[in-house]
Amino acid sequence: MDLGEQIRNKAKELIERETVDCVIGYERATDGVGARPLFAYKPEEVDRLIFDQTCTHNLAKYLLNSKDKATAIVVKPCDSRAINLLLNESQIQRDKLFIIGVACPGITKTGLNNTHEELQAACQICQQHTPVIYDFLVGEPPASEPDIAEAYADVAAMEGQSAEERRAFWEEQFSRCIRCYACRQVCPGCYCTECFVERLDPLWVGIRIAPEENEVWNTIRAFHLAGRCIACNECERVCPVNIPLSLLNRKLEKEVRQLFNFQAGIDAETPAPFATYKKEEVFPELG
Amino acid sequence: MAIEYQPKIVGFLCNWCSYAGADVAGTSRICYPPNIRIIRVPCSGRIDPLLVVKSFQQGADGVLIAGCHPGDCHYTEGNYYARRRLALLRPFLEYIGIEKERFRVEWVSASEGKKWAQVVSSFTDELYKLGPREMTLAKGTG
Amino acid sequence: MARTGVFICHCGTNIGGTVDVSKVLEAAKSMPTVAYVDDNTYSCSEPGQASIHDAIIENRLDRVVIGCCSPRMHENTFRKTVATAGINPYLLEIANIREHCSWVHGDDKEAATDKAIELVRMAVAKAASLEPLFSRQVGLTKRALVIGGGIAGIQAALDIANADYEVVLVEREPSIGGRMAQLDKTFPTLDCSACILAPKMVDVAQHHNITLLTYAEVQDVKGFVGNFEVNILQKARKVDHIKCTGCGTCWQKCLERTPSEFNLEMGKRSAIYIPFPQAVPLKPVIDTEHCAHFKYLEAKEEGRDLPDCNICQQLCPVSAIDYEQEDQIISERFGAIIVATGYQTFDHSVYHEYGSGRYTDVITGLHLERLLSASGPTGGEVIRPSDGLLPKTVVFVSCVGSRDEQKGRSYCSKVCCMYMAKQAIMLKEHDPEVQCYIFYIDIRAGGKDFEEFARRAQEEYGTLYLRGRVSKIYQEGKKLIVCGEDSLIGRAVEIAADLVVLATGMEPSIGAVELAQRLKISYDTNNFFIEAHPKLRPVETNTDGIFLAGSCIGPKDIPESVAQGGAAAAKVTALFSQDVLTTDPMVATIDPMLCSGCLLCTQVCPFNAIDTQVTRDGRTIALVNETMCKGCGLCVASCRFGAADLRGFTQQQILAQVTSLWR
Repeated sequence: MDLGEQIRNKAKELIERETVDCVIGYERATDGVGARPLFAYKPEEVDRLIFDQTCTHNLAKYLLNSKDKATAIVVKPCDSRAINLLLNESQIQRDKLFIIGVACPGITKTGLNNTHEELQAACQICQQHTPVIYDFLVGEPPASEPDIAEAYADVAAMEGQSAEERRAFWEEQFSRCIRCYACRQVCPGCYCTECFVERLDPLWVGIRIAPEENEVWNTIRAFHLAGRCIACNECERVCPVNIPLSLLNRKLEKEVRQLFNFQAGIDAETPAPFATYKKEEVFPELG
Repeated sequence: MAIEYQPKIVGFLCNWCSYAGADVAGTSRICYPPNIRIIRVPCSGRIDPLLVVKSFQQGADGVLIAGCHPGDCHYTEGNYYARRRLALLRPFLEYIGIEKERFRVEWVSASEGKKWAQVVSSFTDELYKLGPREMTLAKGTG
Repeated sequence: MARTGVFICHCGTNIGGTVDVSKVLEAAKSMPTVAYVDDNTYSCSEPGQASIHDAIIENRLDRVVIGCCSPRMHENTFRKTVATAGINPYLLEIANIREHCSWVHGDDKEAATDKAIELVRMAVAKAASLEPLFSRQVGLTKRALVIGGGIAGIQAALDIANADYEVVLVEREPSIGGRMAQLDKTFPTLDCSACILAPKMVDVAQHHNITLLTYAEVQDVKGFVGNFEVNILQKARKVDHIKCTGCGTCWQKCLERTPSEFNLEMGKRSAIYIPFPQAVPLKPVIDTEHCAHFKYLEAKEEGRDLPDCNICQQLCPVSAIDYEQEDQIISERFGAIIVATGYQTFDHSVYHEYGSGRYTDVITGLHLERLLSASGPTGGEVIRPSDGLLPKTVVFVSCVGSRDEQKGRSYCSKVCCMYMAKQAIMLKEHDPEVQCYIFYIDIRAGGKDFEEFARRAQEEYGTLYLRGRVSKIYQEGKKLIVCGEDSLIGRAVEIAADLVVLATGMEPSIGAVELAQRLKISYDTNNFFIEAHPKLRPVETNTDGIFLAGSCIGPKDIPESVAQGGAAAAKVTALFSQDVLTTDPMVATIDPMLCSGCLLCTQVCPFNAIDTQVTRDGRTIALVNETMCKGCGLCVASCRFGAADLRGFTQQQILAQVTSLWR
């Protein structure tokens, strides 16, 4: 039984028994090739559910809209980490969720010119092919996880450059930012009622689309996700001007791991790194 | 490096320890370079990374955060949280091109006037050597 | 539109002598929202404050910036000034152009002036965003806690109790009395220390307003002024102090012997013991580490065999011995706390040139006090600890562990010059044949009758004062050879002494740092507690409601400790004379529209001052308890949503300060 069929069977059961109000999953997109989110409320809508290597979206974001109703959701391992994050931050309730976890084969690169065979960058270095939280598991979890020794190779390469080189690189990247906020919209960790970039009092980021403003926007958004980013990489995928956002987020992920021995989304109970401290800890990073 | 370059330094000092320590440097008449502009906050834990990033954006060549020694925070734990936040912020700023020498975190107690003066002197010297922080692309944009 | 008044103080020449005040005024005129500028010679003086007051009214100013000394100095003064002129006292911002400017940039007047202008500019920018704030009132518990039962703590407790307020005095030793109980005579009167101390100790025990908790320690402190919640650990004495009559049978019959801490290990005490004969309370505790019964129990658990002993329990006429007694935690509420934890003497074993503590006949001043004392280990006979012979040549060495940067103690311990003189006099009184030598650097005898006393030691009692340091002490046969210098005649001096007394310095008692951290009070590099202001607020700390007294602040003698105990008590009674306390309005707020209920702030708040509330639309969000909030701002820095803010140090205000710079 393929993944899609397993999901459809389970979803139909949940809808028919009225265990959930809605099943959030994937269906075939209008181009016939890619996938898009589906909100299935009725059994006939459930028939449209699919799962294959085009299902890139992190559907956990939608859970923030349906907090009161019982919802089922199809999640890949990275998406499941987002669920743990939202549970940890009291944004959703566990008893309102039915999590259909998928042992994920990896998502291929999307877009018109792609052959849909090469895995996305995040999937190439993925070390977690089984969801960390689920009520129903679909697919075969692998026997072991690959040891990607160089999971942070690109971050390390950036660290190895000189300050001037890094400055020039990021200035160039941020100069392209058009402040469309697609990165923020797609991120399950970004759910602020009023994002700091939209505040007028105080005015943290001006209206101008200028490199120095864009720098504040991108660096602070990344820092607000420090210890929270679950590395689904959707932000980088949706950026219309191809800013390498994962290069920013994964730097923080690497530092958080080293400094606080913490990885976001592994469970919902461990306190976030900024919610706690150890008296004895010493940070050579502070000089 | 321009001849007229004078490092612009913002200092966020906690009221109970470092700000008092800087006061003691004053009562002791210990001289140090005049480049630093001190902003008083109740605790080093009050420092939002946004303020640090904005300080650099507004033209600071260096940002200094001074708080109580860990264990001595007037609010017990404020500087422990600050320590974590700033320990993560510093390498991150370095990564995007703000040299870590431009962002300093120091623990100065209420009696350490001499230490305060030394910190400011050495920080100012270091910033002279580093030169001004300039965004190469921002120059000339409106 | 805000109308800001800018007032620059000359502070005599403290500011005006370095900063060009007229230039600062000129620059201030064009700063945004500034409607009026003026200068004063001494803004904090009556005419200075009056001129500010009048200017506010005449020019319809609604907020004020003052460029002057540190806000830690006069912020409260000027808050009152603007309040009398009708402005909310929190619409005031101070630019520190003295401690942070004129006093540290005296070498560059131009730079100092430029900096002063910038500091004023920041203050004006912040002032524009200030909002009126209003204090609240909260009740208080009129009960005081005194930590430490030495003379300072005893005096403080008595003074508060006599003002008819309840006091709890907590002392970690089995008896109160502190260091003063260990002294023989006190300078300069040569009063018997125990004789003048004992009546006060008894007063404490008998006072109806004082609850005495000995063998107890403060474990943790929560809350704030007027409302401290303290957990006190009452260690198990293994003796029921209500039944015990202090008859003394148990400690007389106990067979165990262990070195007596009170006698600095020069004598022995029993395992069930009182530390000294005049102990208050005169009721024993059992030292379970050295008690045969407890050693038997421990051995039994480990499968070994040791004889049991129940002598004290069997002989006690009122069955007060209770081996099963457990440690207890007593939780109490207090309105004020006085810390009087006293001192201990410096450990001279780091002075390798003096024998590293190996020589039995090289003792400290406190050891000598115990030898001189009639209730000491030798019954008041000053004999050499090594062989019990009477010393005929006694050499004192001053400044051991004081005034010595190499040993990490650069301060002067104040009392040693006086107690060496006293001890030299006492030794001569005990034995007219003794010859005392004192190697000194200075003779510090600043108190009342102190100089005359020191002279007596020399002129009447023949003590030879040698100005010079001692470079080495070593044993030769039965004698101790003291190698020093008499710098006034420029010669090296060697004395073969029978007894050497090191005047060891005073340092804070063990556990001072941990207690300070529990109380959240500051301590300096020598671990002495820091006063709110060394000149004008010598018994207060920067934490409201917590006061200090005695040598835990710094080395001092008995009259000073007594004075400070009384001073701290006066502060407490002043606090208790109010029926309500006004809280600081600079507290945190949470915007319920922006809070997403992630509750990170509730986890980081050091004072547990953030609760939750459920909004009308069913969201659980955070809510600040303004009485508990101490205004640290941790929640603000933790809140990604920008929901938390701190009155008086808002995000907008601080950002405005940053943005105003270098324009």
